[in-house]
Amino acid sequence: MPGQHGNGGTENQRDDSPAGDAGRERRVAQALADYVDLLSREETVDTASFCQRYADVEADLRREIETLEEMDTLTEASTYDGADHSCEPRLERLSGHRILGEIGSGGMGRVLLAVDERLGRKVAIKTLKTQYSSHPILRARFMNEARAMAKLSHPNIVHIYNLGEPHETPHFVMEYLEGSSLTEAAHALPLRQKVDLIQKVVRAVEFLHQHQILHRDLKPGNIVVGADLEPKLLDFGLALQVGDLDNRVTRAGEVMGTLEYFSPEQTRGNTALDPRSDVFSLGTIFYRLLTGSLPFHGESFAETVTAIRDREPILPRRLNSSLPRGLQNICLKALEKNPSDRYQSAGEMAQDIERYLAGEEVLALPTAYSRLLAGRIEGHLRELEAWKQDQIVSDSEYDALRKGYGRLSEREDTWIMETRRLSLSQVTLYLGAWVLVVGSALVFLFHFPELSGVLAVLVVGAAAVPTAYFGIRSWKAGRLQFAIAYLLAFCLLLPIALLVTMGEYGAFSGLTKGRQDLELFYQFDSFKKTTNAQLWWALLLSLPAYVWLRRFTRSSVFSLVFAVIAALFSLTTLLRLGMLEWLDNDPGRVYFHMIPIALVFFLVAIALEHSGRPSDSRYFYPIAVAFTFAALSGVALFHEPYAKWLQSVAPWTRGQVEYLFVVNAGIYLLLQSFFERFHSSQLRMIAKSFRFVIPGHVMTSLLLLGLEASRLWEESPARTAMRREARIFEVLLPMVACAFVFGSIPKQMKNFFASGLFFLAIGIVRLQQDFFHDRATWPITLILVGVTLLAASRYSAFRLVMARRLRRRS
Amino acid sequence: MSPFTSTFDLIERFRDGDETAFGQLFEKYRPRLGVLIHYKLGAPLRERVEVDDILQEVFLAASKDIGSFTYRSPGSFMSWLSCIADHVIIDEVRSQARGKRAAEVVRFRSAGNPGGPEPADSATPSRILMQKEGARDLLGRLDALAPDYRDVILMAKVEGLSSAEIAERMGRSREAVAVLLHRALQRLRTLKETNE
Repeated sequence: MPGQHGNGGTENQRDDSPAGDAGRERRVAQALADYVDLLSREETVDTASFCQRYADVEADLRREIETLEEMDTLTEASTYDGADHSCEPRLERLSGHRILGEIGSGGMGRVLLAVDERLGRKVAIKTLKTQYSSHPILRARFMNEARAMAKLSHPNIVHIYNLGEPHETPHFVMEYLEGSSLTEAAHALPLRQKVDLIQKVVRAVEFLHQHQILHRDLKPGNIVVGADLEPKLLDFGLALQVGDLDNRVTRAGEVMGTLEYFSPEQTRGNTALDPRSDVFSLGTIFYRLLTGSLPFHGESFAETVTAIRDREPILPRRLNSSLPRGLQNICLKALEKNPSDRYQSAGEMAQDIERYLAGEEVLALPTAYSRLLAGRIEGHLRELEAWKQDQIVSDSEYDALRKGYGRLSEREDTWIMETRRLSLSQVTLYLGAWVLVVGSALVFLFHFPELSGVLAVLVVGAAAVPTAYFGIRSWKAGRLQFAIAYLLAFCLLLPIALLVTMGEYGAFSGLTKGRQDLELFYQFDSFKKTTNAQLWWALLLSLPAYVWLRRFTRSSVFSLVFAVIAALFSLTTLLRLGMLEWLDNDPGRVYFHMIPIALVFFLVAIALEHSGRPSDSRYFYPIAVAFTFAALSGVALFHEPYAKWLQSVAPWTRGQVEYLFVVNAGIYLLLQSFFERFHSSQLRMIAKSFRFVIPGHVMTSLLLLGLEASRLWEESPARTAMRREARIFEVLLPMVACAFVFGSIPKQMKNFFASGLFFLAIGIVRLQQDFFHDRATWPITLILVGVTLLAASRYSAFRLVMARRLRRRS
Repeated sequence: MSPFTSTFDLIERFRDGDETAFGQLFEKYRPRLGVLIHYKLGAPLRERVEVDDILQEVFLAASKDIGSFTYRSPGSFMSWLSCIADHVIIDEVRSQARGKRAAEVVRFRSAGNPGGPEPADSATPSRILMQKEGARDLLGRLDALAPDYRDVILMAKVEGLSSAEIAERMGRSREAVAVLLHRALQRLRTLKETNE
């Protein structure tokens, strides 16, 4: 653009000016300056009469002023509505009401105060501004909206008395409200009355929604509270139409006033809004009422928008510590950024507020807490990482903290064991569900003469079906805590119900291998004779239900249920293979068959974790590890082929169990080094748990082997081979113990260190009894070794001292 | 002007919590402030910054600081707004500079950057003002004026300063300012005549 030149312009243009009388020029200039002074006082100046005062230069002056006034084309050009309200025509009467004056003016409408002379009451009349009233579409919409509003009759929504006639300026007549805005009115009220007020507002908004009207511009200024503390909603439904017209500039003034109450989707200029946008605005109003400040507020327009879209509000209880937690939860739930996390309707919000007012537990579980924590935790975790790298924290501390933080940053689960706070109602709920389950279990466990056949099925069904029904319904209604309790009860009731039904109708009643002694429940006289097959099928048929519940609720507690029931199912499978017989004859076989079970659990867990479901896999790993430990230990203790294999490979072991445990320790070592290769924290925990048991396995075995060898040697002192063996173990035990003590360093395993110390002491005592019996040199040697080690730990300091001495000497 | 909408009343009403009053203040001052901002921005900034955005910022800041504003004379609100506008624009220039350093913003073609790409919509910066032919014409002529001439006209008519205030700002006597304004208007008129 031109016009960016230096200051010399003034000089050049002096030449262009008509070389008139200098005195005359000064006179015109003087008059102009007077005119400018009048303008600066925002006075309306009548040009003609002004110019007359300067008779000698009147014509020149008028020309100058006209040129100056030309500047108005600029200001008018940037004015869509001829902004000055003085430009609006003065209306005398509308719908037969005498206009008294203007009460207010918004983006596209004016509100006039008028009097209904027949009834002698004041009314408010809303009209469209002149520049809009000529717009046919807007005009039609304005009247349509007014018509829709006129149909509504609600104590907390302003009444529309009548609509303007088509030939008049578009307008409608409504009740004239005297009172103050919601924030002013609520300012001095006690908390309960504030909540009462907002409750009425929320109900009124729900009423609007039920009539397919969105308010879109909820803010305290649009809610008038009268002396009777009844709030009334004003000015709804019109906001969108202006947005449609693509002249947001006109809206600018309004947008600014209300921006803070906008929902995130509104700030995106989203025109396809739904009731949840109003819910957000209600949340903002609620927050303002409770805390006295706005949840989202920036220094600038853009910052405010960012705050609404991305920032978490300060927790209301931080601002007002006397605020009950329930109210804070309601507030935060309404202020969720994602509409699907919010109350799905104003009605839901109202119900929760009513629950609070009735002294009941509020259902809202806002995600804000976990996000708030997550936001903070991120920084902590980064710091933690740095601490670990700088070795300020130990690896295990790091793992523990990381795990703890990880739990914190997860969304608070609705399951009782993972909620952050227990409450009476929740505890009662779970107690009830548990008693229900135990009661139903009795029906399948024992015989009840009055309760047999169809009746038993009906009783258990009457427990199971409603829990499922209410669970799913409560979940859909957003009452998650209730839903989970119901559904968990259902998870346990389902196999019970299946068992009772099978029992009563004799399904799968075939015995395992046709033998009663292989049936679990046949071992106990007082129990009902439920077959292994029935158990197996009941558990198997229940599993898909848990998968479905997991998908339906996205709550990982059902993965836990699945994992546990699947473990039981695996054991039942062993029962059907004849586990009871093996227990009597060859218990090793039972444990041997657990190995594949452990493998399957590992595979499932790894698959789940790899498919991005660590919250599910974390329940499968511990079960897999438990099966591994049980299987390997059981096999070592009872599995004859295992002992025979060892004997054939290494005859000198004589197939002793302790050697098998040492082999197991080797297997654990392999497993831990295998799992450690993975980056997942869960697998590293598994590696750690395998590593954890190694020292106990090895050193206990060495001790027992040593004791056994000594015993054998004492029995037949002539056997030198036995003596050598006993001696070897006596020396080996403290040596291995020392190895473990130092082995604790690389993996930071403190149990290596502790058990190493413990077994070292035992080893020393055993050496004393055999090698150094009655020899004073042994304790003295030990003391010297101890002193040496103490000194060695200060090796570097020692070297420093020596170096200094040497330097001094030289 | 009706007593309902005088600046003083509106400010008082807004201070008392009447949010509609601020909307009215905004409506009342927006046109003049818009033109003022247009010129305060200067050509290079105008290409990147919307006058409207600055306006919004100015009024937002004004609504926050309204407590610090003291009403002295009818024109004081406008000069107060103008002062805020200066600050907002300075902030904007700073953030623009920051932004450029951060991400090498492509500069559109302008007098200072003839090799730059053509802006997609050349009218963007002051779309509002350009919409009307008369306004476009006047803007062209104002641009053709020497800066002193343009400034004095803007201060007198748009910013609404008194002759004494203009004199103080320009560091001249009131008489000199009066003559300057006179000549500026003459020049503006001459430009119009030559255009026609």
